[in-house]
Amino acid sequence: MTAEAGTSLGVKETSEALREALARQFGRSLHIRTLDTGSCAACEQEIRLLAAPHYDLHRLGFFFTPAPRHADLLMVTGPMIRAFDLAARKTYEAMPGPKLVVATGACALGGVYQPDAFTRGGIGETLPVDVWIPGCPPSPLALLQGLLVAVGRLAEKVQELSFTENGTPR
Amino acid sequence: MPLWFVRGLRRGVVTTRYPARPDDSAALLPTPPSFRAEALTVALADRLVAVCPSRALTRRREVLVYDVGACTACGRCRAEVPAAVTDSGQFELAATVRARLIKHVPLTHDGRHLETGEKDSP
Amino acid sequence: MTAVQRDQTGRDPGLAGLLAGLGQYGRAADGPVITADVPVTRLEEAVRRIAAHPGARLADMFASATSHDPVVLRLVWGLDADHAYLITESVIDAERYPPLSDIAPAAFHEECEIYEQFGIRPAGAKPLNRVALPPIPGFDLPRLGHAPAGPPVGVHAPHVVGGHAFEFPFGPVRQVGVESLYYGLVTSGEEVVDLYLFTWHKHRGMEWRLQGRTPRDALFHVERTEGLGAVGPAWAFAAAAETALGLDPPAQAERARAVALELDRLYNHAAATAALCQSTGLVIGQAAAEIALERLLRLNAAAFGHRYLFGVVDIGGAAVGPDAAALRRDLPGAYGELRRAADALLTTNSFLDRLEATGILSQEAARRLGLVGPVARGTGLPVDARADHPAVPYAALAPIVATADGGDVLARFRVLLAEAAESVRLIEEMLEAGTGPGRAGPPGHPSAAPASGLGWAESCRGEALAWVALDDRGRITRARLRPASVRNWRGFDDACRSQNVFTDIPIIEASFWLTVAGTAR
Repeated sequence: MTAEAGTSLGVKETSEALREALARQFGRSLHIRTLDTGSCAACEQEIRLLAAPHYDLHRLGFFFTPAPRHADLLMVTGPMIRAFDLAARKTYEAMPGPKLVVATGACALGGVYQPDAFTRGGIGETLPVDVWIPGCPPSPLALLQGLLVAVGRLAEKVQELSFTENGTPR
Repeated sequence: MPLWFVRGLRRGVVTTRYPARPDDSAALLPTPPSFRAEALTVALADRLVAVCPSRALTRRREVLVYDVGACTACGRCRAEVPAAVTDSGQFELAATVRARLIKHVPLTHDGRHLETGEKDSP
Repeated sequence: MTAVQRDQTGRDPGLAGLLAGLGQYGRAADGPVITADVPVTRLEEAVRRIAAHPGARLADMFASATSHDPVVLRLVWGLDADHAYLITESVIDAERYPPLSDIAPAAFHEECEIYEQFGIRPAGAKPLNRVALPPIPGFDLPRLGHAPAGPPVGVHAPHVVGGHAFEFPFGPVRQVGVESLYYGLVTSGEEVVDLYLFTWHKHRGMEWRLQGRTPRDALFHVERTEGLGAVGPAWAFAAAAETALGLDPPAQAERARAVALELDRLYNHAAATAALCQSTGLVIGQAAAEIALERLLRLNAAAFGHRYLFGVVDIGGAAVGPDAAALRRDLPGAYGELRRAADALLTTNSFLDRLEATGILSQEAARRLGLVGPVARGTGLPVDARADHPAVPYAALAPIVATADGGDVLARFRVLLAEAAESVRLIEEMLEAGTGPGRAGPPGHPSAAPASGLGWAESCRGEALAWVALDDRGRITRARLRPASVRNWRGFDDACRSQNVFTDIPIIEASFWLTVAGTAR
């Protein structure tokens, strides 16, 4: 888990007004770059399906781009293999601001891998994350929800969920 | 390519209406668990912590600290203590603040809740 | 798959002769897995003899070492014509061992890996490639054994650069939605003169991480080693652990695993079809294949509770049994979607033209490099673990092994389509025979001697192997994971080199349908 103070340059540090301006800018057309820092390849397959007929992210104004200079948002999978650090930072820095980072899948969020000699066990130390999407892998629907939250078009709901049940079982 | 064009027309639209409308396929998805606080003793919680392969569960005094972000919905905790673990059915889990994915489940002792003073994160 | 007890007397004279030749060394047989202790001084001769045996294929080579024992080098041979595996074990007490990749080129990548992990290398001056160690000064990683005296000599094996060719490094961050992979592309402009791959940026040290864990704990990570096509490697690992523990999964659980494996094959083949369409720019074909893929993934979720079939294989059996009603109801429609897309593709000349004569791999190269799966079968080589090393669920079903001639992308595509049809038949038969969750009874009491086992499964990409050694508390001392991707990436350079241009590379990559994760583990 990463301390909030360690995440810089993201939307969080800006005032509400700037956040709204960004949401307006990104809300209608957003270009997405992907970055694999050591995933098992399942997250990549779910991300690829965002452009497939069942999900069609284009109808929401989202587009994939291979060019970092065109990208507004970086979708990052994998637990950040230490040997990959430099390539990850360079990919992020090649994107002009303003930009967003979405940590995608349990590995990127700190699950599955413990920090050890091979991997950092999450991307939070290396990149400033704006949105965290759980899942192993997160389904395309979960990815869509995460992207829409990132541009402020859907309200976050996880803070209201307690994951605790009282009383009789369902 | 008339073949593809005609096939495409006949196939029709399969695109989801999400988020405007809910998508039925969400019902098939594995989701992170919810925990039945009244059924969870400290001893049972420790079993869950031991069986989680993704370190999504830890215990701090009488609270089960549950990191939804680290959870892979593998189902091992549910298989270990079925009476205390259930499907949350939630897949819309994106968070802009990492701490919002850390949940606290109060544990019981002899069938009553323990007052821990710890609340779920805002 | 779990080993089936077989009668030794039914073996053909050729194998008997081979075994007799090895008989002067200690030998043990456990059903279809034969182990031979070969002193290192006799290793080269033994490898020559085995390599000359008809149908012998070097399936894997790996080493193990504990702090108090010297390095043991194991070679796993698939004696496919004899339906057996042969493991030779040699104690290596010096820094050098015989240069086996001269006799068996299929061993070269493993020699490089073993050098990095155990500090031992083949005799001779041949440069060894970097595998897991990044070329970052001062950067070190834990090894499975002892570190070598020096870093790998020669960053990559020399290749012939003719004329005005130049080297063009590409990656590891590549186009959208694909894994990180670094290509060293040697080109004279458009043409691919040579291609070598580096995967050290994705090495996660899985085999190191599994040490000390219980098999059940380890299985969680094994599934996530190569998540896209997880069932094969997971089953191979579970079977290896079951052999080591003396467990026999219940028949209905074995069939549940087989259903999961065939569903795994189906969705991967649909995904490969979509990738082929994308690489050739046929967007509408890609959309059609993706519709089929999405339906198959939803079918997986309906049948087993997970789109990628995680959590199905368990140590001792299957944790989940398929929802047979949902499968019977939805499989025909989902497969029909794929079938119709494939039929349309096979009549679309602009698509077929890109596939024909692209990425040609010869059968000789497939055999020499020990390739497996559709990549090998597309050269006409009928290697398939379901038929060559049949185990409990497949032995009764006689799966049809699909091959095609030509070794080009089109041949591999045809193999994928034929296999998909066969998978549907196999699933139906499995459901008929009855499937369900279940685990073998309480683990057999581990014997005093540390136990080990070899497991295998025909994953969507080909034979996945695993070998596991447990201590007397049932914890892993050495886990060897060998997904099919480890074998088949070494054929990728050959396929790209044959008269191809840059824009052919994504097409060839799609037809191989490997993962970087499966080799960089």
